[in-house]
Amino acid sequence: MQQKSLTFIARQAPYGSNKAKLVIDAALAAAVFEQKVNFLFMDDGVFQLVQNQNAESISSKTIGRALETLELYGIEQALVDSVSLEERGLSAEDLAISVKILNVEQVRQLAASSDVVINL
Amino acid sequence: MSALHTISVSPTSGLLNSCLRLVCPGDGILFIQDGVYHCHPPCLLDGVSQDNAMFALREDLIARGLLGKISERITLVGFRRFVELTVDYDKVISWS
Repeated sequence: MQQKSLTFIARQAPYGSNKAKLVIDAALAAAVFEQKVNFLFMDDGVFQLVQNQNAESISSKTIGRALETLELYGIEQALVDSVSLEERGLSAEDLAISVKILNVEQVRQLAASSDVVINL
Repeated sequence: MSALHTISVSPTSGLLNSCLRLVCPGDGILFIQDGVYHCHPPCLLDGVSQDNAMFALREDLIARGLLGKISERITLVGFRRFVELTVDYDKVISWS
């Protein structure tokens, strides 16, 4: 199968809707088909990365486990938009998994160089 | 690679600002559905560079009574041209 570079953009907070989970599932599916997958957290999507979440209190699954599977499925490029972090008063120390922080220009380059950008 | 960015929700969403962080020179922006509310007043589009073409779907503007009110920078398109645009650019990035 022809390999393409796909960039998934997660822009939703984790529990208000099922969209956050949906984007992760879509990215994992792409990774299974041995595509080159980038996963970018942007806007409210950066809230998915916050440490010490426990969604049992609202009868949901904590998103951290799902995020950890990204690496297991070979998605090495977990990325986060620096502007979105700053806007929400978050920094690298607040994050639950290791992600690469991209500046404005790097985010633009990522979108430009990807064959497909999936923005759910 | 050039991209056509489609925006389908109203300015209240703030989505245009997010979109602009990914927009490169030569990319196009197409307003559809409630996204056409970005076309009036024109100041909502001040952040968009002159290097980026902007389009709006005529049918959606008519439906919302905006047809005669929109910024001169915006090119009106019908459904046929909408489809052509998706082919003219290398990829489509949808914002909704």
